[in-house]
Order: sequence, then C-alpha cells, then structure tokens
Amino acid sequence: MAKRSTLGIFCALALGGATALAQQSSVFTIGTLYAGSGSFATSSLPQYQGLKFWAQQVNAKGGVYVKSLGKRLKIKIVALNDQSSTSTAETEYNQLITQDHVNLLVADFGSVLTSVAIPLANEHHVLLIDPTGTGASFFPKPNPYLVLAALPTSAVWPDSLANFLIARKLKRVAILYDTNDFDQSQAQTLAQKLKAAGITPVYDNGVSTSTSNYTVLVHDIAATNPQVVAEFGYSANDIPFLQAVDSSGLKFNLVFTVFPGQLEQLLQKNVGTAGLNGTLTYPTPPLLAYNKVNFGLGVNAFTRAFKAAGMGAPNFLDIAGYNSGLVIQRALQLTSGLKPLALRRAIQSFSGKMFTLDGLFKVQSSGAQVGELLPVAQFQMQGGQLKLVIVYPKNVATGKLLYPAP
Amino acid sequence: MPKLRGHAWAIAVLLAAFALAPSFYGNHSVLFSMAAFVALAEGLNVLYGFTGYLPFGYVGFFGTGAYGASLAILAGTPPLLALLVGAAASVVLAALLTPLLRLSGAYFSIASLATAEAMRLIVSNPALTPLTKGPYGLNLQAAFHPHQSYWAMLVILALTLALVSYLRLSPFGLALQAVREDPVSAAMAGVPVVYARSAAWLLSAAVAGSVGGAFAWHLSVFYPQTVFSLSTSIFAIVFTLFGGAATLLGPATGAVLLYALYTAVGLSAPQYFQLIYGLLIVGLVLFLPYGLTSLLQRRGIHVP
Amino acid sequence: MFLLEYAVLAGILYGLYFSLIGIGLNLTFGVLKIVNLAHGDFLMLGGFLAYFLYSALGLSPLWAVPINLVLFVALGGLLYALLIPRLRQSRDPEMASFILFFGLSQAIEALAILAFGNNQRSLPAAAIGPGTISLFGQVFPLSWAAAGAAGLLSVLLLYLYLYHTRLGQATRAVMASREEAVASGLSVGRISALAFGIGLALAAIAGVFAPYLLGGISPNMGVAVTTTSFTVIVIGALGNPVGTVVGGLIYGLALMLMETYASSWATLLPYLLLVITLLIWPSGLLGRRLRSA
Repeated sequence: MAKRSTLGIFCALALGGATALAQQSSVFTIGTLYAGSGSFATSSLPQYQGLKFWAQQVNAKGGVYVKSLGKRLKIKIVALNDQSSTSTAETEYNQLITQDHVNLLVADFGSVLTSVAIPLANEHHVLLIDPTGTGASFFPKPNPYLVLAALPTSAVWPDSLANFLIARKLKRVAILYDTNDFDQSQAQTLAQKLKAAGITPVYDNGVSTSTSNYTVLVHDIAATNPQVVAEFGYSANDIPFLQAVDSSGLKFNLVFTVFPGQLEQLLQKNVGTAGLNGTLTYPTPPLLAYNKVNFGLGVNAFTRAFKAAGMGAPNFLDIAGYNSGLVIQRALQLTSGLKPLALRRAIQSFSGKMFTLDGLFKVQSSGAQVGELLPVAQFQMQGGQLKLVIVYPKNVATGKLLYPAP
Repeated sequence: MPKLRGHAWAIAVLLAAFALAPSFYGNHSVLFSMAAFVALAEGLNVLYGFTGYLPFGYVGFFGTGAYGASLAILAGTPPLLALLVGAAASVVLAALLTPLLRLSGAYFSIASLATAEAMRLIVSNPALTPLTKGPYGLNLQAAFHPHQSYWAMLVILALTLALVSYLRLSPFGLALQAVREDPVSAAMAGVPVVYARSAAWLLSAAVAGSVGGAFAWHLSVFYPQTVFSLSTSIFAIVFTLFGGAATLLGPATGAVLLYALYTAVGLSAPQYFQLIYGLLIVGLVLFLPYGLTSLLQRRGIHVP
Repeated sequence: MFLLEYAVLAGILYGLYFSLIGIGLNLTFGVLKIVNLAHGDFLMLGGFLAYFLYSALGLSPLWAVPINLVLFVALGGLLYALLIPRLRQSRDPEMASFILFFGLSQAIEALAILAFGNNQRSLPAAAIGPGTISLFGQVFPLSWAAAGAAGLLSVLLLYLYLYHTRLGQATRAVMASREEAVASGLSVGRISALAFGIGLALAAIAGVFAPYLLGGISPNMGVAVTTTSFTVIVIGALGNPVGTVVGGLIYGLALMLMETYASSWATLLPYLLLVITLLIWPSGLLGRRLRSA
C-alpha cells in the first residue's frame, strides 16, 4: 500500500498535478513515515501497522463522520520509508507536507526520527501527531502543532517505579543506562526521585547505546550489593543485559528493564523464559489490559480484531499506532474544520476525558502527554506460563510481588 | 583562458539551477540536501582527488562543524557568523589530526574513520552534557530559518566550487597532483610536500565544517548520531567516485545524479537501493575506476 | 581486587575471541595485500547460519563451526575468482580493494535485510550448553569460555598450518614476496584463493559466538565489526597472525577495564587505541614493515 501511494505521488509529480490528490474533499490524508530497515525497524513497523489497521477499520465503516462538515471522510495514508535515517526522514516529512499536501502528519517511532518533524510542522503549520517520540527537549513551551499521543514524556516514565522502590524500602538501587535521550532522561528522573527520598543509588553509570556485552558490567554492579538493578536501554540493550544476568551465575533480588513490557515476544524468544522470570518492567497494553474504554476498541477486542485481520498478535507499538489513529478520529468528529488549529482545539476539548485501550489521554498545551501512567509489573511463572503481574501502584495491581525474585 | 571560461560557466549554471529550483519544486529539504552533498563531494574531492587520501571519516568534520555552529547559535551568535565558527572548529580538529597524513592508503582511511567515531562518542558522552547537551541533542528552533539556511548553503557551495576550480587550474593544484602521483619526485622538483598536503587537508575540513553548520541550522533539531552518521561519508565518497575525482564537474554530477536517483527510488524501495549502490561501487572499481568523466577524458575531451 | 581480577580474566577471554574475529582479516591482508571491508558481514552470515541451525533444526550452534568452515572456504574461492584477478590490474590494488569490498559489504547487508528482516536475533544462553564455568575462582558464562577456547584453538591451528605444512609454507612465501613466489613457480593464485577462503571461514566461525559475545546478530552489524577487527589487527601487526593475538588481548583487557572503571568512555576506547597505535607505532606493536608514506 505504501509503495503504491508513493508511486502515485511520483506519477502525479511527473504530470505536474500533485495538488489534485489532496484536494478531493471526501478524503482526509495522513502522511506518515516508517523505518523499513535500520535500527528502529523493529519498533517502527508495528507502529505503522497499528495505524494502518485503524484506517482500515474506519474506512470499512465508510470513514469518519465529521459533524461540522456534515459528511464522512475516508482516511488515506501516504507512507514513506525513512530507513531509520534522520536526514532521510527530514526530506520525507517535507515531501509529505509540500508535495503530497497531507492534512496531518503522524511521526515515525521514537524521539530520534520524530525530532526533525517538529520544526517542519511548525514552519508549515501542520499538526504533528507524535505516537512515541517522548524526547525530553520536545516540549519546552506551548506548541499548537504537536501532540504526543501514546506515551508520556520519557522523564515521567519512572515515576511509579521510583515510588514503588521508596514504598518497598528498597534502598540499595543500582542504575545502568544507555547514553541516549530516552534512557538517560529516565535514569536521571529515577535518581532524582530516589535522592529526594534520601536514597542514593549504589551504582549509577551510563554506557554507550552501542554496548553489546554486559557481562563485566553486571559483575561490577554485583560488587555494589544492590537489592534492585534498573537497566534503561533499547531492546537491543535489554536483550544482552538480561542474557548476561541469566548466564553470569549472579543473583539479584530484583532486575528492572524497559522493553520486556513492550516487546514481550521478541524478548522471550531471545532471552528465554528463564531469563525473563521474575524481572520487572513497565507493563504496556496489551499486557496491561484496559478494557473499560469510552472510545475505540478495548485491549481484548482489539487483539481479536487485529488477529482476525491477519496481522498476528499485537504488541504495544501496534497499539500505539492504533491509539494515534483514535486521537485523530475523535478530533475529526469534534472539530470545527480541517485546519490544524481547529483540530488541535478539538483535541484539547477531549483531553482528560477520553479513555482508550492505551489509558487516559491527556495532553498539555506543549503537546506533552501526561495522562497515561506506567505501573510496575513482574514476570511470574504461573502454571508453566510466563505471566506479567502488575505489582504497583495498588489501585491497578493484579498480584503480589515476589521478593526476592525466583 | 578558455579553460577558465569553461569553469566559470559550469559553476554559474549549477548555482543558477539551485537558486531557481525552489520556485519550481516545493520540497526544499531535497534541494538543500542535494546542494549539501554536492558541496561535500567537492570538499572530499579537494582531499581525495588532489592528494589521493580517502577520508572515510569525512563526516567527523561535518559533525564537528554542525556542533560548533549550533553551540555558537545557542550561545547567541548570529547564524551566519556561527557557520564560520563551525568551519573553524573543523579546521582546528583537522590541524590536530595532521599527523594522520603520515599514514598511507587504507591506514589513513581507517584512522580517519576512527576519529569520526571518536568525535561522535565524545560529543554524546554524558560527562559533557553541560557543554554539548550530551545524548540529548540540540534544539535550535529559535533560530530556525529554512530560506536563509538554504541561501547560506548556496554561498558555501559557490565558494567550494571556486576552490576546486582553483585547484584544477592553478600551479598549486598541479603540484598537489604531482605529489599524489609520486611524492619523492615531486619533493625533488621543489614541491613542499608536507605543506601542500596539509593545506588540502585543512581546506577540505573547512568545507565539511561549514556544510555541517548549515545542515544543522537547516535541520534545527538533531542528535549526535544524526550529524555523525557514517552514511554521510559513504554518500560523499560514492558520489565523487561515480562522477570522477580530480575534476570540477565529476563529483557535482555524481552527487546530483545519484542523489536524485536516491530520492526517486531509494525512498520507496531502500533495500534494493542499498543493493544497487553496493553493486554499483563494485562495478565502478572493476570497470570504471576513474568515474563518468573519464569516459570523456579518454576521448581527449577536457572536462572542467 | 575482586573487580580487577574479574575484569582481567574477562578481558583475556574476550580478547581471545577478538583475535578470532581479527585473524581472518589479517590473513587475507598478509597474503593478498587487500583490505576486506566486508569482513564483518561474513561474520554476520556465519552467525545467521548458527541461529537457523538452532531455531529451525534444534541443533547446537556449535555445529555451525564445521559447516561454516566448508561453506565459506568454497565461497571464498568463488569470490576470489570473480573479483581478485581484475582488481590486480588496477593502478593501486590496495586502495581499490578497500573501496570494492566496501561496496560488497553494502550489497551483502542489503541482501541480508531482504532475506532475514531487520530484527536482531539472539540465542538463549542454554542453547550452547547449561550453566557457568569457574576459572581461577571467578565464574563466567559457558559461552565465554567456548568463544575464548575457539579463539585460542583457531590461532593455534592457523599457526600449525602456516609453519608446519607445505601449503602453509608456500602461503608464507607469498606473504613475504608475491613476485618471488611467482618466480619460484608456486601456484600463487590457488594459494591466495585458499587463504582468502580461510579468512572468510574464520570470520564466519567467529559469527557463531556473536549472539553471546556481541549481543546478537543483525544484518547491519558488519561495519562496526570490521572496524573493531581492523583495530585489533593494527594494534598487533598487519600481516602477522601472532600479532593478532596480542592485539586482541590488549583490546579485550582495555575494554573490560574501561567498563569497570569508566564505563561511559569504554566504547571510545577502540578508536582511540587505533589512532594512537597508528600514530606512535605505525607498523603495529609486533610489526617491522613500515607503512608511512
């Protein structure tokens, strides 16, 4: 589908009629990028798939009914492949805005590929829906052209984790993080919150994101006798880290990593069931099952529909892509017109009121998402199967923490 | 001076094309990147074409220029002045690395690659966060100005083309090529070998530094891996080889043709494109080692 | 003291593994005087073979070692016949090979993405054998010991081949002087093709341990592996297999000590070591050949 639409653009360009595509009045065009190759492909492709799934669902019902226009709009997605390269992404966001004249932009996965879209969206006055680009520096001031849709800003992520450690009186905490925006901001927040509660981490070090072997690092951490080890990395870091813990013969009471809660199947395939058993993570949907929703499908219904569409079992990023679609859908229903600022006003009008399979949707004027919370969960063996049990905070907990982990 | 006139025409046509293109084609990012890659390929040409040193880590100067210029902008320097700061930062780095020129062939290439990677890791190290913002990257949105940065890029391109033209036509350029062919004989003929090579090295770094500065200003939000990406070096090298090094038009033609191809094909089918790129390099080395322009030169036609 | 001991032992094991990674590149350079910039991509292919043996057939990844040996020696012969004779005719074969193999590396990476997709692959620790092993009172994963042993064994076998077989002695004659070897009637082409194949096979064998020692296998890992291999062989000495072991050990030890005492600067280390070695000892620690211009 992506290839065909891109080809279409080039044909249209060749005929000198690029604008004709975007002005068909019964179509709402969304421009997006995905990484078909490179380091972000693992996360980017499912996010794009989730967005496509949403568009299929909506179009199967004849489109989104826009009350102010009094008619239904079909959703058309124009998608380009940025191969995980930021400079390619920049030219392609520009392509979507200036050549395809899309009505709205949806950013690619993660902060790195989202970063270059932000100034372009501002410059050309296009609304940018940012599913997962949680970069700490993206939201410094009110910005009407940016909405973070599916995750809170990364500095907010470890809130529950910090509170959990403080509440459990776990005072010997080791923090290992990769030196990139996403991981370092989490590590910093966690360390600050712990220090505010009088806990100084026994180990707090950064390593390069390209670190691929953690055996010696794990050993160095063990020498500080921590009760809890928190490792903030990308999935390509979490895998060798958990492997190193598993094969080193060392024993930590608790280990925390980020990605098992988002890409459970990938991690389980690479680390093995034994390697995951007992570890902590941020649970995200579908592992965190929000079924009482007031807009779109709940987690269980989504999982069934997604599988029925032949797209396999969804992971968090499929849901993030789908959830971004829901935000767009609700905005279209309520908006006074298709101009970016009208859409943004509509989004603000349901901020704090919409509850989807990804949790509460609530944005600030800077575009930062603050509604969703990331609880703390533990993988536990139950009846020969690995289950993710939410252990904190209490109001969403589904089970008890096993401490020390098995 | 018919040769000089040929060069002047070539430069004028190329610049006029880039100056007029924005009125016909709305995706200015493509045009900006293309101009940047023409300048980078020509800057690489200054070193590789005229001295034979192939810097795999050319992006190190590009990234250093990007960070130099951006940090200057964040400190309140007007962007145009900041570009000079970026170029100066790269020249200082090149001056520190002058001893690398003692190495030959592949050793030089690998050592230069290692310095580029080292620069990336230093810039993104958390210990330097107060200075470089470490892994958080830089945000220049306050100075964001796509039109001004495009024109600044064209000025840099004009200066770079003039530089290559000068090397192509001047006794200094001839002396450099003599050093490339046979350093010992050139030294005996009175060419100051070390001085000539170092000059080409520093000039080449200045080009990459200023292009990096303009690129950062144009992009305005970026991370260390964005401006220290190895693929930037690779593109510049392939463009230069494809067109033909040691000429004015070769690298420019290579950059325009291949970047246009990349935009047209690479965006929709990137794996096939990388495959084509790789095979193209293999084919070039085996069958056309001196690039497109050598097809004309072989027939005795002078290429600017 | 405990940390220091562990870092040193880990550095030795890791360093032996890196000797294995570098030694094929060094052999190719010594015999053919060409730089195989696609070295890391052959390692990646060897790793994928091990991965599929385990995940599709349930075989231990160690079976990939003999299979890789045969497969990649054959592949080396084929590539040699296709590329090298023509490459020799160019004005500067060393530089030309450098660029050509870079192109080959890009092509292999693209094909690997098309064939295997982008996901990073790794193997559970249990695939290679259960548990841990104790060395001098320190406990290491079994995979580390296996990789270190494979490194040591490969270097020894290569040494025996080069110094105690007739073919190996002929190979060394080509290394010393190609012209003289041709003049004395050795079939230089065949000897070089075999050396090239062995070089690729050693890379592919190193790939078998990549899931454990390099954190996984992915199509785009090649360039980084090649750079590190180059560092290792430059620190030792180009064209000298024993030098590779010295280079590997220095690299491994330095990396592990850095991780222990200044973790965020650790990945900077190989690049610094490379540049410093090149500037101070342009011919490597054990080398005699001058390489400055």
